[in-house]
Amino acid sequence: MRGLPLRQLVDVYRAKFRAEIALQFAYRWALAIWLLGLLLQPIVYLVVWTTVARSQGGTVGGFSARDFAAYFTIFMVVNQLTFTWHYWEFEWRVRQGFFSPLLLRPIHPLHNDLAENVTFKLLTFTVVAPVAVLLLVTFNASLNPSPWQVLAFLPALVFAFALRFLLEWTLALAAFWLTRVTAINQAYYLAVVFLSGQMAPLELLPEAVQVIAAVLPFRWMVAFPVETVLGRLSPMEVAVGLAAQLIWIGLALGLLRFGWRAGVRRYSAVGA
Amino acid sequence: MRSLGLLWLSFRLGALNAIRYRADFMVQLFQSLIGLGIALGGIAVVFSQTDQLGGWRQEELIALIGVFMLVGGLIAVVIRPSMEQLMEGVRLGTLDFTLTKPADAQLLVSVKRVEIWRLVEVVLGAALIVLAMVQLGERVSLERVAAFAVTMLAGMAIVYSFLLILSTLAFWLVRLENILVIFHSMYEAGRWPVGIYPPWLRATLTFVVPVAFAITVPVEALVGRLEPATLVGSLLLAVAFLIASRWFWRLGLRHYTGASA
Amino acid sequence: MTGRSEQAIQVRELRKTYVVPEREGGLAAAARSLVRRRTREVPAVAGISFDVAPGEIVGFLGPNGAGKTTTLKVLSGLLHPTSGEVTALGHVPWQRETAFLRRMTLIMGQRNQLAWDIPVVDSFDLNRAIYQIPAAEYRQRVKELVELLELEELLRKPVRNLSLGERMKCEVAGSLLHRPDVLFLDEPTIGLDVTMQRRIRNFIAHYTQRTGATTLLTSHYMADVEALCRRVLVIHHGQLLYDGDLAGLVTRFSPHKTIVIDLEPSGPAVDGRIEALVGSPDWVVSHAEDRLTLRVPRSETAAVTTRLLANLQVADVIVEEPPIDEVIDLVFAAGPADAQAKDAR
Repeated sequence: MRGLPLRQLVDVYRAKFRAEIALQFAYRWALAIWLLGLLLQPIVYLVVWTTVARSQGGTVGGFSARDFAAYFTIFMVVNQLTFTWHYWEFEWRVRQGFFSPLLLRPIHPLHNDLAENVTFKLLTFTVVAPVAVLLLVTFNASLNPSPWQVLAFLPALVFAFALRFLLEWTLALAAFWLTRVTAINQAYYLAVVFLSGQMAPLELLPEAVQVIAAVLPFRWMVAFPVETVLGRLSPMEVAVGLAAQLIWIGLALGLLRFGWRAGVRRYSAVGA
Repeated sequence: MRSLGLLWLSFRLGALNAIRYRADFMVQLFQSLIGLGIALGGIAVVFSQTDQLGGWRQEELIALIGVFMLVGGLIAVVIRPSMEQLMEGVRLGTLDFTLTKPADAQLLVSVKRVEIWRLVEVVLGAALIVLAMVQLGERVSLERVAAFAVTMLAGMAIVYSFLLILSTLAFWLVRLENILVIFHSMYEAGRWPVGIYPPWLRATLTFVVPVAFAITVPVEALVGRLEPATLVGSLLLAVAFLIASRWFWRLGLRHYTGASA
Repeated sequence: MTGRSEQAIQVRELRKTYVVPEREGGLAAAARSLVRRRTREVPAVAGISFDVAPGEIVGFLGPNGAGKTTTLKVLSGLLHPTSGEVTALGHVPWQRETAFLRRMTLIMGQRNQLAWDIPVVDSFDLNRAIYQIPAAEYRQRVKELVELLELEELLRKPVRNLSLGERMKCEVAGSLLHRPDVLFLDEPTIGLDVTMQRRIRNFIAHYTQRTGATTLLTSHYMADVEALCRRVLVIHHGQLLYDGDLAGLVTRFSPHKTIVIDLEPSGPAVDGRIEALVGSPDWVVSHAEDRLTLRVPRSETAAVTTRLLANLQVADVIVEEPPIDEVIDLVFAAGPADAQAKDAR
């Protein structure tokens, strides 16, 4: 992550963008099928919690059926925009030696993955966004954020993506030391499902779990932007959240730098 | 009998193969436990806010998760890997080797590959069902267990036929690698009783991607809320699916030989 | 030793030792290894030194596992050596400075750098951006490469749809777009048919001639080395056995020459006299109807030939060096100790 001329970076990203579009086009059916599965997930949780809300006389912990519809739909969008898959690929990359070509280039491999990720998000967002609107309408979601909440949502979303990307890329570096990282990845995934608000809004989880989710980075990676735009946070809480995100981004950057240096030293010591 | 013999041989081969990769066992165990953790955690979170979900009580949902894992495990052990192998065989032409063997080809391709470590999931699922049955106590009677077994078999037959039909499509549409993912993502919806879903999704899960018959219906039988009509319907549908898939398989096979001759 | 700045590549006492875990069978051993791993050190490169002048093309010879690829990987910055000093273009490779990475390339015959699923031209374009090649130059270079390697038909196809040879052509072209000053080529022609091998070889010769790029090449095919390299390095068990020109390699390591004599069919029978004429029965490789094949110590070649010409009715005579492949086999069969004893340098 040496300083690179910005103009060069933009150029690289544009070239990568074109290449990636070609790639996704080659796999358009796989992509469509994958999207179908992705979209089913919020519907399932939405239905489960709506059923719970009804059986409890309309609301659960301050969430009505319409609130759940808004929560899980927006969660799907935010989760889709922030998730990464690179940590599932690293083991294969390291073992098969596919890391070497990336190391030979005069540019940090992080940029390769970041460009891939951003392109994929832009591409799939064209499907995710209309479907989200459709879901919001179908399930009669109650989503009416005030202007400041929308305004706060944007940096919260960008920070959430930055944080998640940096942390998960750092997690991926474990593959330099361990031959099998699947177990670590699985454990991490479990934490994400529970602590990022995927299964239920964090407010509905036990107090202790909420504290853990807030102390660790998980809440700030997905749930926080969702809560912001749903209007469930006071201006003060939003400000604190943004600060927490920035602190975590700083920590993640430090971890990444350190881990990357050590990882490459390790990679180049044991045989690339 | 012959089919059971073949299935057994496949298992033996798969087991011998898998034993050499012991580390995979630990990974699989870990992965299954995480799946279990997510499922049970989800139930715990829901039932911390309510005492019933669409009329289902907590121990009934635990039985449902048990069946979800058991059926999912059985699919993952033999059906899914074999079907993937079949589609690859059609694409690369290696199906020729299977078709020239003196045994029923449908049977052969259906047990072609076994991923033995996924049995972990089957065992966990079965354990969960037993646990739920203990919790349910006196509500479990002999005829309910019998009805459970019958509907479970019917459900497996339906799922197997459905997956075979999907895979047989490969004879016409060669580049189809991902189609089984459709089933996989729909299957995820089976973690919860299909009754809670809105009508269009319920209908999809019952008739288009028949997850309901494989998971919800057997559990209904176990906890004694199965309508006799559903039992009969499940059996009839299983027979219909088996016949249809067999017919479709034959049709596809004709297309295969026709294409490569 | 020549001045530091005059060499493109300098290697001093390079060593690279891998630490590999030792495994025993059985569950108990596996459990033990969780607590304490038994490891073993495997020296891949055991102290080699050499210089390469700018523009030189050097062939790296050695059997599998000799340390060729390890050396190339150290030189291209992928591997950190255990000890020793290396500079390439004035940089220490494993510091992986951008300025260095932009001036070199590593082509591996068994690995792909082009993205598998996208058209070749998109991969090229990505390289253009990464190496900051000005647009006009980029167009010019692609045009030239397309002509030289006949890539016209291939550019729009995804890499996975190309044959091995086509893929290698594109791989080479993509790796040279940024006009590197140093080329590391690891088995660039492996697995290709003879025509395609020649194609790639000619192209590399053309490129190095035009740009004056310094090149290090490993290959299993002697033809590659013979065609491209005047100088060869022979490496075996991680040690440098020979550094010099190809012809010298033969004289150094093959103490024999081959003499083939065709006799006039009409001439008198020679059976009885042959051994006496040749000098030693050990020197006769074969004696068919009218063809005599001998393997004679280098120093005796002239004398033996003269004797035979004077005493037999000879139709034709050929004196030749043994094939280079045989010499190489001989070197490796002898092993590092023997060969080094011969090494007078």
